[in-house]
Amino acid sequence: MPEPVVSVHGLSKRFGELLALDRVDLDIRPGEIFALLGPNGAGKTTLISIVAGLLRATEGTASVLGRDVVRDYRFTRRAIGLVPQEINFDPFFTVEESLRLQAGYFDVALPRERLEEILEALDLGSKRHANTRSLSGGMKRRLLIGKALVHEPKVLFLDEPTAGVDVELRQSLWRYVRTLCARGTTIVLTTHYLEEAEELADRVGVIDQGRLLVVADKDELLRRHAGKTLRVALAAPLAEVPEALRAAGFRLEPGGSTIAAIAPPGASFGPALAALAASRLAVKDLETIRMRLEDVFVSLVRGNGGSRGKGAAA
Amino acid sequence: MIGLGLRTLFVKEVRRFLRVPGQTLLSPLVTTTLYFVVFGWSLGSRLKEVEGIPYARFIVPGLVTLGVVSNAYLNSASSLFVMKLQGTVIDILVSPLSYGEILAAFLAAAAVRGLMVGVIMWLVGGVFTGFALAHAFHALLLLVMVAVSFAALGLITAIWASSFEQVNFFPTFIITPLTFLGGVFYSAAMVPAGLRLFTVVNPVFYMVDGVRFGMLGFSDAPPAVGLAILLLLCAASVGGAYVMLRSGYKLRG
Repeated sequence: MPEPVVSVHGLSKRFGELLALDRVDLDIRPGEIFALLGPNGAGKTTLISIVAGLLRATEGTASVLGRDVVRDYRFTRRAIGLVPQEINFDPFFTVEESLRLQAGYFDVALPRERLEEILEALDLGSKRHANTRSLSGGMKRRLLIGKALVHEPKVLFLDEPTAGVDVELRQSLWRYVRTLCARGTTIVLTTHYLEEAEELADRVGVIDQGRLLVVADKDELLRRHAGKTLRVALAAPLAEVPEALRAAGFRLEPGGSTIAAIAPPGASFGPALAALAASRLAVKDLETIRMRLEDVFVSLVRGNGGSRGKGAAA
Repeated sequence: MIGLGLRTLFVKEVRRFLRVPGQTLLSPLVTTTLYFVVFGWSLGSRLKEVEGIPYARFIVPGLVTLGVVSNAYLNSASSLFVMKLQGTVIDILVSPLSYGEILAAFLAAAAVRGLMVGVIMWLVGGVFTGFALAHAFHALLLLVMVAVSFAALGLITAIWASSFEQVNFFPTFIITPLTFLGGVFYSAAMVPAGLRLFTVVNPVFYMVDGVRFGMLGFSDAPPAVGLAILLLLCAASVGGAYVMLRSGYKLRG
């Protein structure tokens, strides 16, 4: 097993009475895309802020490439790029100046080719001399990504990078994230969009109320937690489900024209289909639906006490 | 060897105030010109000389000190506080810049603005009263220390403050009264005993008095006293700002 790029052990953070992180242990592997999922206030931003040096942990340790983020902060911060959740911009400077200044803070004299590459990849070339105040919200967010990349970090933290970004731009950012990953950059992503995690991530961590509930390969997580649903549209509505079908797991859906059965992970619909054939009901249509990451996430968070009752991804 | 990170932050801070020259440089120029028009031209002939020095010339060192104090303070205080408000402070907090580098860049940029304003005020004063300097090095040394001290106080305020009102509290209720009652417009010998007592316990008086010695060769107190008080203030304010930055107070959660 290769050395983790980011490693946190027993990490806790307390804000007054609120325990924002509760003894979190996590290793991020080199070259992977890791998605950190959790409801609002779950502790995602707190966790990456501690690793990036924006917050100090109450307890526990965090390291990047084997070096402690407090003791060796100059080393670890050179290895990290952070795209913060909140959009910020300095209205005194242009896009190009902002990128050059950020590179300078990291002791990097941004080479012309690198600047061009970032501007092109983030579609900001035409705005290079524009004051950052004049950029649209999407452009400002892309500029934040550019600023996080100027020093070619080994690990990039993206804190909800596509919040408020249109579909087309989101797709282009996803492509860019994949390109960065293919070049060896490790990506840690928190996102509002579970679809984003499902699309991009190699591994997923679910965090709620400061506790890391599960860390697993995305596909493994889906296999382990995600069942399937068989939905059958009937030619004529039913008042109630026949006993034989009920025993096979079917339930009547609102309206009476559809019945559905759920198979847990690893189980098949063989017995349900056999019962359906035996019932001689006239079937109009039939579909199987695989549970998605969103369903897995909701069921995990509900299992943890419903994250203060919300269960919504954030 | 000064690293690229420190140089970048310093250049960024200087460019920031140079991009709004009307607010940062021209405004003090107008204010100072008005002081000299009123005191030097309109009232000058009616005011007594102080120790053989024309009154308009006597107030130049105090006004220069006042300009350096307020502009050095305002630069670091407003820049860091606005960065906190805008969220752009993240840019430097996630960088590998050391606490000493961040401090040095902010203080140097603020001192540059303070001294630029000081020079502008001296030039304007010179047009009305002449450009001769009695002890130029002494005056420059004191003004640099004044600039650094108040830049550090500005940084401390910006770290601590949660609102613009708090940022403005220090200049409005502390710096301005101490400066105006610190001998900018009068010699300690000219005023009644009560005000004289207040003046001689006011540390700003010794700064103004020391700068006056450097520029005019006249001072109420021994010049070494002003130097010693400034050294103490400089060490305390710079040390305090460094400790606050290093502690992460109100910056790193």
